[in-house]
Amino acid sequence: MHPVLFNIALVGYICATGLALAYLIQRDELVHRLQSAATLGAWACHTIGLLAFAIESGRPPFGTLPAAISVAVWVIVLLALWAERQYQLRVLPAFVLPIVVVLSLKSVAARPTVEDMGPTLGGAWVWVHIALALIGIAAFVLNFAGAIMYLLQERQLKAKRPGTFYYRLPALDTLDRLSYRTLALGFPFLTTGLILGAMWAQVAWGSIFTADPMAIFSFVAWIIYAGTLAGRAAGGWHGRRAAYFAVFGFVALVLTLGAGLFLPGRHGAS
Amino acid sequence: MALFVSGLNHRTAPVDVREQLAVDDDKLREVLRDIHASGALGEAVVLATCNRVEVYGVADVPGEARATAFRHLCQQRGVRLGALEPHLYTHVATDAVRHAFRVASSLDSMLVGEPQILGQVKDAFALAQSCQTVGPALHTLFTQAFAVAKKVRTETEIARHAVSVSFAAVELAKKIFAQLSGRAVLLVGAGKMGELAAKHLVEQGAFPIYVANRTWARAQEMARALAGTAVPFDELATAMTAVDIVVTSTGALAPLIDRATVQRIMHDRRARPLFFIDIAVPRDVEASVNTLEDVYCYDIDDLRQVVDANRRERLREAQRADGLIEREIAKFLARQSDAEVVPTIVSLRERLEAIRVSEVRRTLARLPDASPETRQAIEALSAAIVNKILHSPITKLRESSRAGMGRSWTELVHELFGLGRST
Repeated sequence: MHPVLFNIALVGYICATGLALAYLIQRDELVHRLQSAATLGAWACHTIGLLAFAIESGRPPFGTLPAAISVAVWVIVLLALWAERQYQLRVLPAFVLPIVVVLSLKSVAARPTVEDMGPTLGGAWVWVHIALALIGIAAFVLNFAGAIMYLLQERQLKAKRPGTFYYRLPALDTLDRLSYRTLALGFPFLTTGLILGAMWAQVAWGSIFTADPMAIFSFVAWIIYAGTLAGRAAGGWHGRRAAYFAVFGFVALVLTLGAGLFLPGRHGAS
Repeated sequence: MALFVSGLNHRTAPVDVREQLAVDDDKLREVLRDIHASGALGEAVVLATCNRVEVYGVADVPGEARATAFRHLCQQRGVRLGALEPHLYTHVATDAVRHAFRVASSLDSMLVGEPQILGQVKDAFALAQSCQTVGPALHTLFTQAFAVAKKVRTETEIARHAVSVSFAAVELAKKIFAQLSGRAVLLVGAGKMGELAAKHLVEQGAFPIYVANRTWARAQEMARALAGTAVPFDELATAMTAVDIVVTSTGALAPLIDRATVQRIMHDRRARPLFFIDIAVPRDVEASVNTLEDVYCYDIDDLRQVVDANRRERLREAQRADGLIEREIAKFLARQSDAEVVPTIVSLRERLEAIRVSEVRRTLARLPDASPETRQAIEALSAAIVNKILHSPITKLRESSRAGMGRSWTELVHELFGLGRST
């Protein structure tokens, strides 16, 4: 049952991405409505698919990394739907959905099955570790989208030649606040998630960094985000500098997921 | 009876022709009553603004109705109708609907998207209503035109982007700060354009306002006008540390504000964005200020460039609006034409059904021994024949009405089947 639902969801996300990009170029009410419908429909399928998977396997649906990414996508779409309404950001899907599709493709390429569950996975703490990290990642995807939009709008304003982005994107101040909020939201989740992971690693494997590439990259990402948050809170960082750091942080995060998916290690999905 | 609009506008007639037709509301009432009384127009609305004079009406012969209407308009001002004729246009049926929708939506305006026209159309409609020259056709047309105008306004951005330099500056400020309420403004110099831009900012909620001028008395005067505070001219840098937007329009020959000063200020401001609107020529702010982080500096040419882009954006949106209007016209016509042919279809059915019933009754009366099956078969046969005959004319009527030919077809059907007078 659930593979079909995941496939429908993926097709829905792809359609929604196309529509969102079309809306960015040509502001058309109908296109926006179709995009909203496609996103909601895909997300609903995704939700049912995850529930079916969880019931079938008898545990949370993020026992393997590809499955966990699928859950991350689910949280990203949920957050994006909220932020779109909260900030009146109708163009947000155009910046978030492409990431959703790339991540979904990855998780589909290695479709989760119940047998994949590693034997070392046990204990409630691991599930909490994964869940918190996922919410953190989802918030940082939005943080990245906000940063990209900020950089585009800032460029337009500096260049003084209004183009499509000038008209479609919201004010710099709005985008900067979105970045700050998502950073402040994601950071505690990522931090707690990493601490739990480290504690569990200490207990289970006897060391925090057992040469696990995913753990190392995630620590790099954490340092970048910690630095940005400190800069914003204490150093008056904002705008372009904060946006650049959001991009760096996201790159580190992508490397983290990439390492988990393609490099051998304790998180390994091989 | 056909819907039509005829008149002249800023494209077809120069201002010296348009101004000859300017009439006040009282005169307009008189004209409306006169042209209605003439009988050439079943219904009439006259729209007279400084950019257009148009008569919307329903008439059997639009050409004649147009001549009547404009003869009365001309009489009011002693203008010769012949002088007007070359400037007049007339749209009939679907084209008239399109024209009404485009005018109300401000797509036919000199400045596309300008907001006044809708109010003017509403006033003209209300005036005609008060003179009782509005019937069902124009009532439907205008209420629909208002709905379409509203839709165009909300679903496209034809009215969104500023087409004046001072409003473009306000819009830019909004693209930087999101909301202007609570943003502090410093106005330097006494130029008219600067004052205008400051006023627009105040209207958007900008507060507090500081005013600096070389002449202290002038600064105080302008501060009073803007409900702001005058600051000494030699404390510009201090004032700039506290504000978000700086509007400059002095007559100074060299820049008053240089890059080094702004750089120092930005450090003290903890890098809150600062937006310079430099309307002075020669410029008051060094152009290189724009290269500093969080500083945006627009001079008069930059603002004009933004206005040009906004114009292009409005025109792009106007194209989308035209597409939207075409869809609305199709919907309007479908509704209208169905309403137009439905009574004919109903009376046609009734007529044939009456013939069928009476003929069946006559036949059955002559066949007293007929079995119930035979009676039933005769009923079924007659009903089938009637339906077969009706199918083609009904289909044709619906099609023709959608093609805008409904009226002549309904008349033909009425004539052919002896249905009595079509409305």
